[in-house]
Amino acid sequence: MSTALREGASEEVRAAADRMAVFLSRFIRDGELVFHGVASALPMAAMVMARNTHAPNLTYLNIPGGVDPRPSFLPGSTVARQLMEGALSYFTLTEIFDLSARGKLGLAFLGGAQIDAQGDMNLSFIGDPAAPNVRLPGGAGSAHILPTARRTVLWRTVHDAKSFPERCDFVTASGNVDAVVTPLCIFEKVDGRLRVKTIHEGVTPDALRAATGFDLGDLERASTTPEPTDAERAALTAADPEGVRLREFI
Amino acid sequence: MAGKIMSLTEAAALVQDGDLLALGGNALTRIPAAFVRELARRRREGLRLVKTAGAYDVDLLCAAGAVAQTQTGYVGFENLFGLAPSYRRGVEEGSVRAVEHACSTVIAGLRASAYGLPSQPVAGLDGSDVAAHTGFRQVKDPYTGESVYMVPGIRPRFAILHVTYADAEGNARIEGGAFEDVLMSRAAESVILTAERIEETAFFVEKPDRTAVPAFMVQAVVHAPGGARPGGCHPFYDIDEDAVGAYLDSASGAESLRAHLDSWEERDYAGSAAVSGDVV
Repeated sequence: MSTALREGASEEVRAAADRMAVFLSRFIRDGELVFHGVASALPMAAMVMARNTHAPNLTYLNIPGGVDPRPSFLPGSTVARQLMEGALSYFTLTEIFDLSARGKLGLAFLGGAQIDAQGDMNLSFIGDPAAPNVRLPGGAGSAHILPTARRTVLWRTVHDAKSFPERCDFVTASGNVDAVVTPLCIFEKVDGRLRVKTIHEGVTPDALRAATGFDLGDLERASTTPEPTDAERAALTAADPEGVRLREFI
Repeated sequence: MAGKIMSLTEAAALVQDGDLLALGGNALTRIPAAFVRELARRRREGLRLVKTAGAYDVDLLCAAGAVAQTQTGYVGFENLFGLAPSYRRGVEEGSVRAVEHACSTVIAGLRASAYGLPSQPVAGLDGSDVAAHTGFRQVKDPYTGESVYMVPGIRPRFAILHVTYADAEGNARIEGGAFEDVLMSRAAESVILTAERIEETAFFVEKPDRTAVPAFMVQAVVHAPGGARPGGCHPFYDIDEDAVGAYLDSASGAESLRAHLDSWEERDYAGSAAVSGDVV
């Protein structure tokens, strides 16, 4: 299954997955308490990788409750039992919510089906919430964690105008968004609005504008996202040799 | 020795149409899969489900037309298979009412009941449409004047928990992540356990601090080895992705769903209904 994952993915998808995992990992500060939730293969790979590179003292928190686990392999489900393996203590999801409410959760990674110009995200409904065109899964812990964690980083593996509208159809969660990582760029939130911080190599400003549903304003200040270094690529491969991160693109 | 041990069919018969059920486990881990399959076989209707993050369990009951309402933070098959098709269809067609929650508000509602309170203040939700959509009201804290959202209590008729070990009286130990199972047991009016293994009571006396659910809270115990499949259950088995995929292929039609339930019947009934202590 895992070998098929890697071999079945196109060069383009593999490059996007590697970039996004590495770029997410760069947001982790050494010594930080870091959390990922359900359906979070990319942040899981990024967190395991960061522990072996620039953030050896991060504290890894997750839904099964294993603190600083050493999973024998990265599971396709990011609440699976491997995230208890080698853990030093047991700290439940309920306790993680409480920790965040007390202002002590450092960084959380959260995904969105829509992420809008304000950095708000939607994982609830596409269309009219009373009669939705699409019922999405729900935002899991995001409505709690976005406003209470010290920092959050959002990600979405699809960057198109529908996914990045001026306003979400429904705001599942809003709050302390530091950055948004996509296959095309990295946004930062400045004065309540997303601004392009860096554009990934090979992406033109025109292509980025065409793929985004809100006005990007002046892109002259945006620089090019530094490509993953050889050391980062090696650390990512060591952290996620099976390519579980690719699952987010299938 | 029989204690509260009963067959899967007898235990499922305790659930009435329209009941509010809290389902233990999380996503595809340690879910009460055999029990929900039995509810589907018994053609239960109008069930209301409570769970932080659901997947196969919530979707299968939606596919079976057994669900009127869900109170969940997330229902989906993660990066493995994406959206939950029958849940999605039920909500979009209007047969399933999705009460939008964050996982934290599901926990808050369960906490209210566990604490014996009508509602529970909860942090977060600022800037989210969830509170207005679901109708969570704000009050002022009488001491500081700070505004805080209150989540109404959630009192399930049963917490349905698939546990690693239980004795015949209903003492239960959970290996691996317990998720919200312990809270659910305290919030619910009563508890139905399905268990991978039935142990002698002495097993629990050895380490009482590891007993997550004490027997006095439990109404029924079902021996259900493999009862979380196709989900995983520590330390015995992992998620069976192929079997989850097979379910998703079958969930679109009544006949194929029936075939799915039939294909699991023998395994679901493999537990010993009259268990002696040495049966594990």
